[in-house]
Amino acid sequence: MIAATPVAAQTQTTTATISANVGTLATLTLSSANVSFPDADPDAVPQVAALGGPLSITAKARATRLSQVLLTVQANGPLRSGLDTIAVSAITWTSTGAGFVAGTLSSTTDVLVGSWTGSGTRSGTQDLMFQNLWTYASGTYTATLTYTLSAP
Amino acid sequence: MTRAALLCLAVLVVRSSTASAQPLDLQLSVSPRTITFASANPDTSPTVTAAPISVTVRVKGPKTLQWHLSVLADGDLVAGPSTIPISNVTWAATQAPPFQNGTLSRTTAQTLAGGSGALNPGTTSTVTFSLVNSWLYDAGTYTQTLTFTLSSP
Repeated sequence: MIAATPVAAQTQTTTATISANVGTLATLTLSSANVSFPDADPDAVPQVAALGGPLSITAKARATRLSQVLLTVQANGPLRSGLDTIAVSAITWTSTGAGFVAGTLSSTTDVLVGSWTGSGTRSGTQDLMFQNLWTYASGTYTATLTYTLSAP
Repeated sequence: MTRAALLCLAVLVVRSSTASAQPLDLQLSVSPRTITFASANPDTSPTVTAAPISVTVRVKGPKTLQWHLSVLADGDLVAGPSTIPISNVTWAATQAPPFQNGTLSRTTAQTLAGGSGALNPGTTSTVTFSLVNSWLYDAGTYTQTLTFTLSSP
């Protein structure tokens, strides 16, 4: 005869605390660091599209709950060619992608490119256009644009 | 054998079964008792790994003894109104078997180790927890409690 040896049921428990620190974070990716507008006849092409087509923008942000994530752009001054200048407001854009908006470039204030609520990855395009006028002095004009993505 | 003798034998067996319960000793140790995931960029660190913890189990009892170590989260990772599913946390354990890898749950205790027979001296496993990182998480400091249970039926 085999009789199972009884053993009293027993339980041991202990606890541990698990925690995760999720800091605010933002990364911005543009498909190109340079935007160029080709020369064109103002009568034939009053609005000149950028070479290479629209900029592709990917804005990744980790923000506090329900906070506003903003993408802005500002020029460092007018378009310059030696002493000649063209106001950067000659550059406008249209956009695609949720949260991306159309705008007009400024060298004095940040102009909104996109806004969203909370964390996430957002992708869109910015199609820059240059207003072509007969009044511009001929030359090669440049300016620097600074894109800022903020995630509070 | 007479009917009286059979009755006597049955009584003796019952008495021996109830009187000689073998001592059972289960010991569980978790150290340290804090598991922390640092903040990291999801693009460069799609998975965040916490510093390993040591889980030690010692079982003293008969060879037929079945024992089980489980872990259960009290809920999702919580930071105020924000949450991260606790199922985004997995672990990898050394000393397999009796330890095994798994995924945390807030509804069902998950097996961390199990076996039969004594485990004496005890066995220590290095358990490393990992969190799936995401751009979708709200910023914040998330916490939750894990309960480790070593049991024998």
